[in-house]
Amino acid sequence: MVSADERLFLWLNGLAGRFSPVDTFITWVVSDYLIPVGMALGLVAFWFAGRDADTRRRRQLGVFAALTSMALSNWAVYVINWYNFRPRPFVELPDQVTLLFYPPTDSSFPANAIAAASAIAIAVWWVDRRIGAAFLAAAALYAFARVFAGVHYPLDVLAGFAIAAAVTAVVFTLFRLLRPIPDLVLKLARALHLA
Amino acid sequence: MFTFATDYYILVAVAAAGALQFAASLGGLRGLLFLKPPVPARLLGGVLIVGAFAWFFAVEDRNINDYEGGLDAPTQALFFFLGASTALVFTLLASSLVNLGMRAGESDPREGLDALRSSSYASALRRSIGRRLRKW
Repeated sequence: MVSADERLFLWLNGLAGRFSPVDTFITWVVSDYLIPVGMALGLVAFWFAGRDADTRRRRQLGVFAALTSMALSNWAVYVINWYNFRPRPFVELPDQVTLLFYPPTDSSFPANAIAAASAIAIAVWWVDRRIGAAFLAAAALYAFARVFAGVHYPLDVLAGFAIAAAVTAVVFTLFRLLRPIPDLVLKLARALHLA
Repeated sequence: MFTFATDYYILVAVAAAGALQFAASLGGLRGLLFLKPPVPARLLGGVLIVGAFAWFFAVEDRNINDYEGGLDAPTQALFFFLGASTALVFTLLASSLVNLGMRAGESDPREGLDALRSSSYASALRRSIGRRLRKW
């Protein structure tokens, strides 16, 4: 499996450095500031954009779930990294990788940024399929770019997504227990005409 | 680090102001809009978002490790919060000024964001504070 992972990585990363406009596009997409900030702004819009109070309330609870899932997914990756450290592809295969990003020093597996982005996307999808599909597409593009740019192996981003999916499912399952907290915040925000 | 953080703060503040205009237009929250017709309002939102990102990425290379001048995740989260809060406060103040004459009657029962369909933010807040004080 690891060998297949490496082969797929080398094939995808082998496409880098061939066509300058594609490389430029990937360096934007892979950035820490385009898709992560775009998704966070998407959550801001998601909070305000509902046509009626019920839709807005469901979406606002979704924003709480998304932030909780993102934080817990990051924590899960952090815990996994106590026991497992996988070197980055540009460290393991220095002569074969075209790197279109700065060289991160943390573990390659699982992909932390993809876990965070996927957690937000899955939570939004959970409450709104249509808007969630756009968030999931952004997360998928981000994951592809991380592999293309030589930052992660495909298995790393798949593991990041799987962790996010599991964590988000747990968050939504247990959300009833946590409901008093977002309910209180929403009540306060509603009094200030912000929810 | 300070310049990068400042640039990031400006990116978030401007883009979040755009996202708020876009979302308020979609949600019919006219009291939050700077421009009332939906197309110009959404266009303004889109221009602010795209313009902020275009400026941020055009000024210099942004793919920098956090120990070489980039931002680590907690700093990013902090500056996102500060930038988005600035955008929200600016939107509430500026839209209240732009929509100074937008006032619903005292009997308008709408609460929360729904009150901003027919009132400016300042007017809705004044009305709900008045109601609460009377209940007291």
